[in-house]
Amino acid sequence: MATTFEKRRQNVGVLLLTPALIVIAAILGYPIVRSALLAFQDVKLRAGKLDQVWVGLGNFRRIFSDEGLQHAALNTLYFSVMEVILVVGIGLVLALLLNQPQGRGGFLKILLVIPWAIAPVANAVLWKWILSSNYGVLNGLLKSLGLIDNYQVWLGTPFSALNFLLLVDVWKSIPFVTLLLLAALQRVPVVLHRAAFMDGASSFQSFRHITLPAIKDAIGIAVILQTIWSLRVFDIVFVLTRGGPADGTVLLNFLAYRVTFNFLDIGYGAAIANVIFILTFALAISYLWLLKPKTTVGAE
Amino acid sequence: MSFQAYRTGGPAKRIGVYIGLTIFVVWSIAPIVWLVLSSVLEQSALIAQPPDLSPSNFTRENFVAVLASASALGRGVLNSLIVSLFSTALALTLGAPAAYALARLSVPYSNVIGFIILATQMLPGIAIAIPLFLLISYLGLIDSVLTLGVVYLSFNLPIVIWILRGFFLSIPIGIEKAAAVDGAGPLRTLWYVVLPISIPPMGAAAVFAFIEAWNEFFFALILTRQSAQTVPLAIAQFAGQYQTVFGQMMAAAVISVAPVIVIATIFRDQIIRGFADGMMKG
Amino acid sequence: MQSNISRRLVLKSAALTAAAAATGSLFGSYAQAEEAALSVFGPLPPDPAPPGAAKFAEAAFEAWKAANGASVNYELLAWPQLHDRMATAFASGSAPWDIMYMCGWVPEFESFLLPFVDSLPADLIADLPESSFKTVTSNGKRYGTVFTLSLLTLFYNKEHLERAGFKEPPKNWDEFKRYTKELTRDGRFGYVANYAEAAGIGGAASYWMAFLQQAGGTMFGEGGLPVFKSDAGVDALQMMIDLMASGTEPGSISYAGINDASNVFMSGRASMMMNWPYMWNPAQDPKQSQIVGKLAASILPAGPAGTASIDGTDTWTISKASTNPEKARKLIEFYLDKDVQKRQALDTGWLPSRLSVLGDPEVQAKLPIAKVVLDQAQHPYDSFVTADYTQVSQAIGTEVQKALQGQKTAVEAITEAHELVTAIVKRRG
Repeated sequence: MATTFEKRRQNVGVLLLTPALIVIAAILGYPIVRSALLAFQDVKLRAGKLDQVWVGLGNFRRIFSDEGLQHAALNTLYFSVMEVILVVGIGLVLALLLNQPQGRGGFLKILLVIPWAIAPVANAVLWKWILSSNYGVLNGLLKSLGLIDNYQVWLGTPFSALNFLLLVDVWKSIPFVTLLLLAALQRVPVVLHRAAFMDGASSFQSFRHITLPAIKDAIGIAVILQTIWSLRVFDIVFVLTRGGPADGTVLLNFLAYRVTFNFLDIGYGAAIANVIFILTFALAISYLWLLKPKTTVGAE
Repeated sequence: MSFQAYRTGGPAKRIGVYIGLTIFVVWSIAPIVWLVLSSVLEQSALIAQPPDLSPSNFTRENFVAVLASASALGRGVLNSLIVSLFSTALALTLGAPAAYALARLSVPYSNVIGFIILATQMLPGIAIAIPLFLLISYLGLIDSVLTLGVVYLSFNLPIVIWILRGFFLSIPIGIEKAAAVDGAGPLRTLWYVVLPISIPPMGAAAVFAFIEAWNEFFFALILTRQSAQTVPLAIAQFAGQYQTVFGQMMAAAVISVAPVIVIATIFRDQIIRGFADGMMKG
Repeated sequence: MQSNISRRLVLKSAALTAAAAATGSLFGSYAQAEEAALSVFGPLPPDPAPPGAAKFAEAAFEAWKAANGASVNYELLAWPQLHDRMATAFASGSAPWDIMYMCGWVPEFESFLLPFVDSLPADLIADLPESSFKTVTSNGKRYGTVFTLSLLTLFYNKEHLERAGFKEPPKNWDEFKRYTKELTRDGRFGYVANYAEAAGIGGAASYWMAFLQQAGGTMFGEGGLPVFKSDAGVDALQMMIDLMASGTEPGSISYAGINDASNVFMSGRASMMMNWPYMWNPAQDPKQSQIVGKLAASILPAGPAGTASIDGTDTWTISKASTNPEKARKLIEFYLDKDVQKRQALDTGWLPSRLSVLGDPEVQAKLPIAKVVLDQAQHPYDSFVTADYTQVSQAIGTEVQKALQGQKTAVEAITEAHELVTAIVKRRG
């Protein structure tokens, strides 16, 4: 039961919180609601303005029969799963490396922070240049080393293009996850490692039974965040491939953009976008649910 | 062996660590090095196969051309600066009290609210682009840096709240209790006790918010026209239909990326601590 | 705490300054309220841009502005972003421009445009190629004027052809394939193209449409429904597939813009390509091209039904919401003025659309491509622009890309494309 002291604190709390909530509601609230409404309509540009016709679930039904969308969904599934695996996996290895005595240099930390700080657009433009099939330095390098005979068209086939897109975003995303996991690693009390050492555990056993459980939560958070972000990828598709070749790099997010802005099929585009939102939300909730129950550090 | 030796590991492990770190350094820095190199080489050197790296081809002309050209990269930098600073300042001003309220002031449903704030980050920009555009143009606020700064709160505010809430939760409750015993109400506690020790995570939150605003592309694409164009748009401009002048494109990228790299480098420790404190309690 | 307060003060005054700067521009425009202020939306040079935006006829432009009491504000954007920016603006009902550049989007945005063409002087209309109005006519009304006759023609490397024993460029499809094969040698390729972009003018679908017309086919029939699932449609795609096999540069599938393909051509690594007239000048510039003096052009090789091309359809249109439609029309007349068109050709390399200027000896001397384009213009050059052009070309272009990659046969791809386009057309109702 709240005492008056508590009540007063609560009131102050509400006062402090409300402005932020109002701002968020205003900037996001109206558009979210309007977007949801648009998803149930067929919207066409006619007679100089938006012509809106209510079609109920029509757009959503179309989603299920749209082959292009199913293809994009598969691309997105592949992309997200691979990105999470690569980013969290490599990030963990990197965090472990940086947690070693040899890895404590400040210079290394700068290197982590740089790819993260670059704008996705700038990153995309840079890699487009690196991967260029005529003048790209990757080709130049590999050919000078004798590893390839001819300049390769890295973005030339759907499979290859999708994987290079993956590479570009993975390169940029690893630092953040690495820092996250490094922070978690540094919180593991050294005393636990000492205890393991005195019990005669090998490095690997120490890692598996002490470190890993201790950073489980951090790994979980990294997976959630990376999943959410991989579903929002847009800039690199826009700059590097624009969905090509042969729609091989069309991710759901980009498809929603194309349908809305290139085809001006605004209702359908809104439906796709809202489906992405629901999917992301569902994924996040299921991750959170899987993260409980929490284990305490060191327990088995 | 000593514990220290145990931690450092045998020769195999040490070599492995060095190799791993070397790969990491090369992998992280190679693209950046190429970015900078490309921006100072002439077009003819860049389109040679392989690229001709001799210092005789070094030139300033890419930067000169880019800064003088009609795509107004200079104005883009100024706009980005205004938008990012404005958005960051607003986010901190609104977000710090909100984060404190969620962390310490027993606001009802604070966990739900916290989750909703996180959930807003899952929204793809496309979903709200058209309605947002319709709203903003109805209000006549299209193509204004201030509008963009406010719209960016949609992601900056949650970031700030999230990081600071995590940090506030980790402050030992004893400090605040001591302040309460001395007769300080929640506001005074926040202002005189909590905020001063929160400078590092606030710095981290500010850096995050600034960088996110600086790099944002999609909403800038939709909500600006000429005068409020930001740096990411200016970069994308270089892919016209007929010409791709690679050196200039890289020079533009360097100009756009340099400020954030400088900031990130200077504040790297705060950023890393921000991760540690904020994310862990999330 | 102290630092907090001063930080806020600094930021507050920064915000105020920014606000002042923003409103300052408002006041600036009020000062010109007496003159008519025209706003023109178009691409950044070197894409086709008008005087004042691109460097030509500047003195004449100043004179026109003074004589007509008008100020002109240019809003320029990278070409690939033009369509989306206009679409968003129209969708919100707030397109502030008087004159807008269009490239195949006239039927799509018809309801926002003014059919001003019939108000133009008769001699101007007569001097423009008849077929150039095809892409800007919708429901019987003409909404725009093409200001540069930009048709695809065949660019080829004279030296490469001579070395392979060919005195003349290929004249038909068989020769085209044979030459491509012969010319693929010594580390170079016979043909290069840009197939990465599926949609739009200059995209994979539009190239196929050129071949479609060369095979005697057409896109749409009764009720606007597609009729290209014919021998002509399949043969056209098969021709592109055969060209791939004969010796199209492998990077072609990843080149998004014409410039990427042109770079390959201009570095001497490909012998032939389909290109727009604008590219003639850069190809003769030693700074950008390694084939200076070796470039020649001809009309596209003929298919079973003869030669055909597509229209680049760079157009000026006037917004229905314009507050100064008369002035806007006069500005477009200025852009199409004989002298301005001549300077456009001589100074920027964009051919004029006025037939009289195309035939001008000075223009023909400086731009030999003009004669080739005039020749090409004697044959069909439809771009099949409809209200769904973006969506239709996206669907067809993607199928073309799949066929070129060997994922489908020509028949499968055309059949699928046909179905997709039928669905699109039917949805519009």
